[in-house]
Amino acid sequence: MAVEQRIGLTLWVNGKEHLLEASPRWSLADVLRHQIGLTGTHVGCEQGVCGACTVLLDGQPTRSCLMFAIQAQGHEITTVEGVTPTEGLSPLQQSFQSHHALQCGFCTPGILLTAEALLADNPTADEEEIRAALSGNLCRCTGYQFIVDAVLAAREQRRDA
Amino acid sequence: MAQAMRPQMMGARVSRTEDPRLLSGQARFLDDIQVPGMLEVAFVRSTHAAAKIVQMDLREVQQYPGVQAVLTYDDCPVQLWQREAYEVGQPVLAHHEVSYVGQPIAAIIADSRYVAEDAAELARVEYEDLPPVTDMRRAIEENPRRVHAHTPNVFFHKEYATPSVEQAFAQAPHHLRATFRTNRQTALSLEARGTAAMVDTATGRLTVYASTQSPHRLREDISGLLGIPTHQVRLIVPEVGGGFGMKANCYPEDIVVAKAALMCRKPVKWVSDRTESLLSDVHGRDDIHDVEVAFAEDGKIVALRDHLMADGGAYPAYPFSGAVGETSLASRVITGPYDIPHLATVIDCTYSNKMPLGAYRGVWGPVASFIQEGIVDRVARHLGMDPAQVRLRNIIQPHQFPYRNAAGMTYDEGSYQACLQQALELMDYEGFRKRQQELRQQERYVGLGISAFVEPTAMASSEAGSVGYESCTIQIDATGRVTAAFGLGPTGQGHETTMAQILADQLGVRFEDIIVLHGDTDSAPYGGGTGGSRSGPIGGGAALVAGRQMRERLVKYAASLLEAGEEDIELGDGKAWVAGVPERYISIRTIAETAYTNVTKIPEGLPIGLELTARYLPKSPRTFSNGTHIAIVEVDVSTGSVAVTGYGVVNDCGRLINPTIVEGQILGGVAQGIGAALLEALHYDESGQLVTTSLMDYLLPESTDMPRVMMRHLETPSDGEGGIKGMAEGSLIASPAAIANAVSDALAPFDAFVDTLPVTPEMILEMTRGELAR
Amino acid sequence: MKPAVFDYVRVNSLDEAIEALARYEGEAKVLAGGQSLVPLMNFRLSRPGVLVDINDLAEMAGVRDLGHALAIGSMTRHQQLVNNDFIRERLPILPRVASYIGHWAIRNRGTLGGSVAHADPAAELPALLTALQATIVMRSPRGERRLLAERFFLGYYSTRLDWDEIITEIEIPFPASSPGFYEVARRAGDFALVGALAERGTSGGFVTWFGLGGRPERMALPAWTAHEEERRQLLRELAGKLDLPSEEEYKRTIAVSVAGRAMADAEGGN
Repeated sequence: MAVEQRIGLTLWVNGKEHLLEASPRWSLADVLRHQIGLTGTHVGCEQGVCGACTVLLDGQPTRSCLMFAIQAQGHEITTVEGVTPTEGLSPLQQSFQSHHALQCGFCTPGILLTAEALLADNPTADEEEIRAALSGNLCRCTGYQFIVDAVLAAREQRRDA
Repeated sequence: MAQAMRPQMMGARVSRTEDPRLLSGQARFLDDIQVPGMLEVAFVRSTHAAAKIVQMDLREVQQYPGVQAVLTYDDCPVQLWQREAYEVGQPVLAHHEVSYVGQPIAAIIADSRYVAEDAAELARVEYEDLPPVTDMRRAIEENPRRVHAHTPNVFFHKEYATPSVEQAFAQAPHHLRATFRTNRQTALSLEARGTAAMVDTATGRLTVYASTQSPHRLREDISGLLGIPTHQVRLIVPEVGGGFGMKANCYPEDIVVAKAALMCRKPVKWVSDRTESLLSDVHGRDDIHDVEVAFAEDGKIVALRDHLMADGGAYPAYPFSGAVGETSLASRVITGPYDIPHLATVIDCTYSNKMPLGAYRGVWGPVASFIQEGIVDRVARHLGMDPAQVRLRNIIQPHQFPYRNAAGMTYDEGSYQACLQQALELMDYEGFRKRQQELRQQERYVGLGISAFVEPTAMASSEAGSVGYESCTIQIDATGRVTAAFGLGPTGQGHETTMAQILADQLGVRFEDIIVLHGDTDSAPYGGGTGGSRSGPIGGGAALVAGRQMRERLVKYAASLLEAGEEDIELGDGKAWVAGVPERYISIRTIAETAYTNVTKIPEGLPIGLELTARYLPKSPRTFSNGTHIAIVEVDVSTGSVAVTGYGVVNDCGRLINPTIVEGQILGGVAQGIGAALLEALHYDESGQLVTTSLMDYLLPESTDMPRVMMRHLETPSDGEGGIKGMAEGSLIASPAAIANAVSDALAPFDAFVDTLPVTPEMILEMTRGELAR
Repeated sequence: MKPAVFDYVRVNSLDEAIEALARYEGEAKVLAGGQSLVPLMNFRLSRPGVLVDINDLAEMAGVRDLGHALAIGSMTRHQQLVNNDFIRERLPILPRVASYIGHWAIRNRGTLGGSVAHADPAAELPALLTALQATIVMRSPRGERRLLAERFFLGYYSTRLDWDEIITEIEIPFPASSPGFYEVARRAGDFALVGALAERGTSGGFVTWFGLGGRPERMALPAWTAHEEERRQLLRELAGKLDLPSEEEYKRTIAVSVAGRAMADAEGGN
């Protein structure tokens, strides 16, 4: 059996460099949360289904429970903390608040990141496209409708801006 | 005069106070709590449904590097046992015997969860299998054996009948029989359970963080079961990522983690992973109902007979069994919003070798509605009548309130008929029927399902326990800012917002100047927690009562300081003024300063400071919300797929505190109902293995499974404080039945009815097979 | 739910990867997108002693036009299959089918080669490759090996890939006419309950079913008809030949309908 080792890594998260030591088997989610202290990334299933751990890897939504931290070297990682302005909330976050797009809030960071990437990728996404893009992010509280409304409103706001 | 008479915040669509911390990733959930030296737990769980533990060898586990302690029953000889109600209780760690797959046997306390899981694999447990008890009907007949040798499998049996039910059956011209089956489901909060325990460095007390809905009760459970004086236990509920009733229990892991922290003298944390969650979060909805209905030619339903059976699992969940909750309450509300005069019910709850049954949102309701609404549709089809017409014929009329149903439950006033009528209008019922006919010509099968529901809320006794009241402590500090604390245990409902809305109106302070606390037994006054749709009506009631008392005090101050009569004082926007003379005002801040620092000016008879606790016990034992859901589906009879294409809700939960939050609850409940009706099932195989142990097997609804839901509100106030009724369960009570009826309606040309939930593609093909073989 | 301990090797070239696999003598597993392997490791259903991470092998991602076929690198991500303009133009069925795989985040990471090596019987890509008679290209210390997809897939999660082999490329011949596709899944992104691809031939055609039994099955249709009832009859006979476990028996009916729709889709020219 392999003997557990710690390997030095450099991770680039939310525009900052982090030097740390990790075991190869530590998931990116665990390292973000417990080594770097970015606990906004949530772990909901560790099997790639629920989407709560979604982060952006080079701008693209990625499951941080299905990637080992050691693999994330050389990539840019963005977590919910990285899309939150220094003060207040981002337009998308504000839209989530004003549309009541969250209840318990556990799934919310993953959904925000997926939605941010969607609007960057497809600024004219319609309801069907938004639902399709978010289909890999489970929410148990909201029934999704207000999430879709919040993303639609944020899209409109971006278009106007 | 009183601000409370013309509220501004109550009823307003206020954005939630909770949101910024959640949206920015700063909210602190249980697994976000990390303190130096913290150890993590993995459990060795039973892989057998029923077996004697012949031998257990944990030496390799103990020797594994990074393992700090291993606990077995001998280290924590505690049983979760409600002795006055049940003959058995569950040992928090299995003792000589295992009774379900996933049952905790040993706890491994290690430097990290990774290491703890490595070590857990090294546990050598030798089992001697017993015949597993997995079939509910057979279990009721003690087959293949008793789950617990010293007591019968049926642990709860009850019979009830109205005096002339037999006669009513004998005289009715029409009868139908049907059997309804709901399969096991679970709440599946996105944040799984978790508990962390440590000794508080300041006081030496045991501090337990738990992802729970019932902070005070869990504190008492830990204190009572581990023999620690209650004041030596502090329970703190961090942000909770959903509960839905499932987090209302005290679980074996809670006790073991607390014990481990005491034994190791180190902080200890356990966070359930998803497989553990599916194995060991309480299950719900494992019910069979054998039903018979008697009705007249005109569609009037006269009598109902129901044998209610539930598989309670291996032990009664602590401190209440979901099987008893699901059946006994269902038996009392099985006639729903319909005026059905005669009723006979028999209840049997049995043990089995499965995970204990506990509470999941709606508890009895989704099951009872499925049956009650399924029956109405069967009556309609049998008589060739329109199902909406049969409902309108049977629904309780406005003049019948307060209405005493056949089981003796009294319904306070509601808008049963109006909700039904408005929902039909909302969904263009007549238009749909036309469209349905046209589509059938094209061999497309669309269906509409109606589900009119009643929802008993604010019950004196619920999964939140028997604490029938709620408490609110208000402190206005010397700057006039308000802190209000409650005994509630919110899991996403937004109580920090709704309770502040209520208080803002009462105290005349700005909404932003109120902070709502909950979940820390050091600050929260004693209360029942959150469950059974009680927080709005009872917690909100406590806010109203406490707010009013504090308001009276503020008025006394203002009257005294402004030299006016108390009856002339108005409050609002952080000020108190003399009615009609707004320039004669004093700020709440000045009043507060007076109360704390200028004590010679305190009006006679008032205490120093602005602090009080008030408790609210509703005078009625419950209040009923009501409403109607209508679902539209299209069934693909070639593949067995169902798409929910339309959905409408007309809901009446009394006075609304925050309509947006109410709508959020409705939408979430509809999604869970779509899951319950079409997707979610926990399956045990014949050997008692749970075969649905991942989210690839236990299917939750996705954004693409949800139609856009239309919602409308009616407001029939309760007679409780503020006219508030509870509402968080109604949407899940009604929705599975609406979907099931819609599928049945779509399949009417095949003369099929949905009798099992969830209804799967395989079942739909079964129901339409005659057609396809053609 | 944490994986067991493993050693991690990140390689910079295919040769290095092959050498690493050889060095660990069956202890090692290739880590491509990880979207199937890592969940299995988290469940501890898979516990390789060594992971050979080939994600840096940029040369193994991308598309080449061979004239009669497209050669697609095994490390091409599903979402790249969906988005790639060249593939969209030359082999539009591939992006269309790939868009049914999992969810966006899964497609961003999951790879063509990984999906082929994992060989889930309900997965879309193995079925498409079987239908289009693609060739799986593998490398090992013994050199290059090529196998037709229908020879490559053996059964449930089982292939002819040897422990020391790496899938480098998939060659997908351009079909004479674009195949039709249809699948039924419980939810968006789920593995198919039943799916089918239908190719129209000169007289009859072929149906490739997936989600039924242990591997995609490409079966010859004796005739091709647009007549609904005749088509059902043909497909019912064909589906009758499928070897299904008893718990999947009900899927035979679905298979007929799904294949019928795939045939209709083929006629519609997509």
